[in-house]
Amino acid sequence: MRIVILCSSVYSETACAMAVRLSKSGHAPVGAIALPTVNRGTLLRKLGQWGAQDVIRYAHSKLIPQRGDEQPQVHNSYLQSLLKHKGGIFRSLREVAKFYDFPVAIRNDQNSPDSIAKLKEWSPDLIIFAGGNILRRPLLQVPRLGVLNVHLGMLPEVRGMSTPEWSLLNNVPVGVTVHYVDAGIDTGPILQRCEFPDATRCTSLSDLRNRLVAFGIEKAGEVVANLDRGTISATPQSHLDEDRQFFVMHEWLQARASERLTQSQTAATARMVNE
Amino acid sequence: MNGSNDNAVPGRTAKVQIAKAMTEATGLLRRPQRALPLIRRLVSDKLHITFEQRHLYSYTTTKRPSGVALNSLLRWIIDAQHPDGGIAAYYSLLTGYSQSYPEVTGYIVPTLYDFARSTRDDRAVSVAESATRWLLSLQMPTGAFPGGLHGGLATHESQPSVFNTGQILQGVVRAHVETNRPEILQAAVAAGDWLIKVQQPDGSWSGPAAYQNAAHTYYSMVAWALAELSDDSGDPKYAVVAERNMDWVLSHFRPSGWVDGINLQGHPNYLHFIAYVLQGVLECGILRQRNDAIEAVAKSSWALLRKFEANKFLLGAFDADFKNGQRFTCLTGNAQISCVWLRLFEVTCDLRYLNAALKMNEMLKQLIPMHGGRGIAGGVSGSHPIWGRYQPLRYISWGNKFFSDALLLEERLTRAFAGSSALEALPCAS
Repeated sequence: MRIVILCSSVYSETACAMAVRLSKSGHAPVGAIALPTVNRGTLLRKLGQWGAQDVIRYAHSKLIPQRGDEQPQVHNSYLQSLLKHKGGIFRSLREVAKFYDFPVAIRNDQNSPDSIAKLKEWSPDLIIFAGGNILRRPLLQVPRLGVLNVHLGMLPEVRGMSTPEWSLLNNVPVGVTVHYVDAGIDTGPILQRCEFPDATRCTSLSDLRNRLVAFGIEKAGEVVANLDRGTISATPQSHLDEDRQFFVMHEWLQARASERLTQSQTAATARMVNE
Repeated sequence: MNGSNDNAVPGRTAKVQIAKAMTEATGLLRRPQRALPLIRRLVSDKLHITFEQRHLYSYTTTKRPSGVALNSLLRWIIDAQHPDGGIAAYYSLLTGYSQSYPEVTGYIVPTLYDFARSTRDDRAVSVAESATRWLLSLQMPTGAFPGGLHGGLATHESQPSVFNTGQILQGVVRAHVETNRPEILQAAVAAGDWLIKVQQPDGSWSGPAAYQNAAHTYYSMVAWALAELSDDSGDPKYAVVAERNMDWVLSHFRPSGWVDGINLQGHPNYLHFIAYVLQGVLECGILRQRNDAIEAVAKSSWALLRKFEANKFLLGAFDADFKNGQRFTCLTGNAQISCVWLRLFEVTCDLRYLNAALKMNEMLKQLIPMHGGRGIAGGVSGSHPIWGRYQPLRYISWGNKFFSDALLLEERLTRAFAGSSALEALPCAS
């Protein structure tokens, strides 16, 4: 199966881990398209999400190779097992690509004509979306099977942003959905929905998110294998007329979601003690 | 705020507007010391919009505590009260404080009582009581209240006004609920009876006591006041009239959520007036337990919520079906929409409304000057940037009122939400 990865930056750990996971199971990508790393929009978004200190620390870990016995720094520690190699760590998609022998192209816009021309040149069966622009119809029509996305929430219940947090507040099971991308936001046909079994073990919302990303990559790997074997098919989402889109959560509500996580942990511990 | 002259005829309106423009223009000549705050604000807004990165300002973090902002807002209202009890319509960066404005003085009364209840601050009660005394002194023998500014430029401004009577009625009813004084209830009933008398058979209000002699859907605010009067007085006739108007307004809702019939000649559809329609229908719908009204408002509000979440701002004025509009921010309209979202959260328990309102309030808090002297500190400008089309170069008292309402609602609802031991405790948690 010919697979292409789309990502927001060559330094995206999610994209690196996804490429490694696929390669290890015999589905090494035939190419990857990334947005430029020093992109004003991305930089500002990350500054807003992480703050200046974390952005600088992250940039340092990616751009300056570790020496001697220094611990390799990974933003999401649950991806470390995938990113580790030969005593070091994959710091960028370029390093992964060099190791597994596939090309990486940089494009300012994943929907641009030259991006689509490059994709057509690679003639993919499947594109895996690991971050970047909102995808437009011409790009969605390129791959034979479709564009795959791993959504950190159960579809169709929770579409949009801050989905793990919204799941907690709305009493929807936390999980991931592997689905095809269509013109809507998280509205495409579903390949697999998986509840996350370890939610009660998470120590914080960011811990939950990191675990879900790792869990999602694993599930995407399984879906790709099943697609290759022809043992899985997509199911259109039901009740799309109901508006289930969620938006970025305000920090006050995030704090309530965090409390909910703690409550569920306490309840789980109490159950274990009783058993 | 129902335009500057509630029931002016077009020819007169033009003359009045020219006279007002002249007064504004000469304001700086009479008080040159006002030039500094004016220039400071113009430069500040220019810098803000030049360096604004929409994706950077997602308003998801609290940078200014709501309690601090609320205190500034109240301080501004206290400063805007004239010795007779009336509250100024605005503080202009050119001409200073305006004359007292009966309409806003009326509907700011509930805000003052809410503030006093929330903070146990007696200053707010004193302002509300003297405002009520002043309002009762203005009531006409028919029961109506006058339009326009008190002692305004135009003689016709002392004519009765449906909208202003409705808005003042809100304050008078609340004053009666708080004080239980019979003369206040008597005034409220007289105002209600006059509103019944001048209502059209179809449920609208038009004719000489209506702005531009035309019927407007944003008079749903009057229906809300009548529904409150019905609850307070125990007389169902006011509720019947309120629902008759609400039915007329509901017939103007389009499938897109857009509401026709705002009907202001010479003005765009400012967000302030769209929000009036929604607030009036929603509050009247809640009081009268009309799900059709709540659902209609929820649909319109959701259309605005999606725009706000996607673009991080709402246009200051919209074309029909919320397509396009004028690119400035109408702060008052934003605060009103925040109130609508918060009330919808309270009714539906849909947390997305609360989420959007928290962000909207955060944006507004960041746009209030905390320093700058009397009339500026704690003031809510008509537009952002301040030279935007809606009430340019002014800090307006009704903006202050609605933003105070939004913050007080936020405070009440978040306290109740955080205080519930589990989310399942919410009656309608999904």
